[in-house]
Amino acid sequence: MPSRITAEEILNALRAVQDPDLDRDIVSLGFVKDLEVSNHLVSFTLELGSPACPVKAQMVETAKQAVKALGVSEVHVKLTFQVSSGRGPKSSLIPDVKNTIAVASGKGGVGKSTVAANLAVALQRAGAKVGLMDTAVYGPSVPVLMGGSEQPKVVEGKIEPPVAYGVKMISMAYFLPKEEAVIWRGPMLHKTVQQFLGDVRWRELDYLLMDLPPGTGDIQLSLSQSIPLTGAVIVSTPQDLALTVASKAIAMFQKLKVPILGVVENMSYYVCPSCGHRADIFGHGGAREASNKLGFPFLGEIPLDVEIRINSDAGRPVALDSSTPQGRAFQDVAAALAAQICVVNFQTEETISLE
Amino acid sequence: MSVRTMLTDSKLVPKNIKLAGGNDALTVRWSDGHSSAYPYRYLRDKCPCATCGGHGLPKQASSPFPMFGVAPLKPERAELVGRYAVQIHWNDRHSSGIYSFDYLRQICPCPECGAMREEAARVEGA
Repeated sequence: MPSRITAEEILNALRAVQDPDLDRDIVSLGFVKDLEVSNHLVSFTLELGSPACPVKAQMVETAKQAVKALGVSEVHVKLTFQVSSGRGPKSSLIPDVKNTIAVASGKGGVGKSTVAANLAVALQRAGAKVGLMDTAVYGPSVPVLMGGSEQPKVVEGKIEPPVAYGVKMISMAYFLPKEEAVIWRGPMLHKTVQQFLGDVRWRELDYLLMDLPPGTGDIQLSLSQSIPLTGAVIVSTPQDLALTVASKAIAMFQKLKVPILGVVENMSYYVCPSCGHRADIFGHGGAREASNKLGFPFLGEIPLDVEIRINSDAGRPVALDSSTPQGRAFQDVAAALAAQICVVNFQTEETISLE
Repeated sequence: MSVRTMLTDSKLVPKNIKLAGGNDALTVRWSDGHSSAYPYRYLRDKCPCATCGGHGLPKQASSPFPMFGVAPLKPERAELVGRYAVQIHWNDRHSSGIYSFDYLRQICPCPECGAMREEAARVEGA
């Protein structure tokens, strides 16, 4: 080893290591922290912008090799993450929430809530602080999907959200007896959205996922006006009908300048559990094609699977268990989503100044 | 890129909005470097809210006490709406107009944008 290797030289070597999603080197991104150089040992912390980066192990390895190439015999890399937050305007309603993600579709029944609940669980498992807001006021389903018997409590005039599997949740279902329905016009929905944001004690969150009702109506508009959303995830089945309606939701978010983080193809295919035959019930690959055509990231495919249905109804999201293919499918989508959030946050223009 | 899409580019956002931009106008500096100045009266006549419906208001509201005259119309404050618009609170208490950034750019009164609008109308009419 050369007698005096400087921190400068090590940083220069690390500039060769790229974050594949952000397409920039880890030094200019500010990911390299706590660099220490002693005789034969170099140690530093690699602080990524997402907890579920799919290539983190590779990045650590490349970084180690780059430093070792300078003649250093031992390199210690500590891997951590600090979820990034956009440089856009902050909301006074939820000042401590770093990212707000709308899970939307055009059509109903494509599995928005199931996808939202599983993504929330997968991100939490990866180590992030996560909240899940059920904005489907007419048809709330988050408490069923997430299980748990905890109820929201009111503490000092604010709602303390129940927690299931480490995810903080709020839903209209908590405030009404099961057999009763919410029969409201628009202004009431707007008020509810505002309360779910401002009157719930979310505290610090890396990601607040919002399960939206289908369509392009009151709730979607209220949400997009009340807070500067980080972005929207579009859930669709592969069939043309669903994709046609999903494009309406995409058009709405574009009008409202909410970035599209990507498209998830749900009920992508069916594999018969007894004979292994695969059937593409709603077709296959339609959402991938559509997102490629429109230039949005494709976040992944979730199979139509009886296990997902059974576990959803039982309040045990399949994403809890990464050893199953269903659980892994959701975790892969969550990792792709976290990466896209990071990308959007780095791309966002600085705050609009208003004088 | 067609003229129409140039007028509603989704990446086009204001960098700076000044309520009192001088000469009784609101000014916007855009991310593409363009600057717009909207005289208050013009901006109010273009109020997009459902009540105004793009028809504009009577030229000047009359005061029940004419000896005091009527305060000249101007915006008192403004708030950003989500990521896409600005809401203007006027000194006559009108505040229901949410001006989306796309809309603001479309109604930019400068001669250059005016010519672009004419071109767009011509292409559409042809």
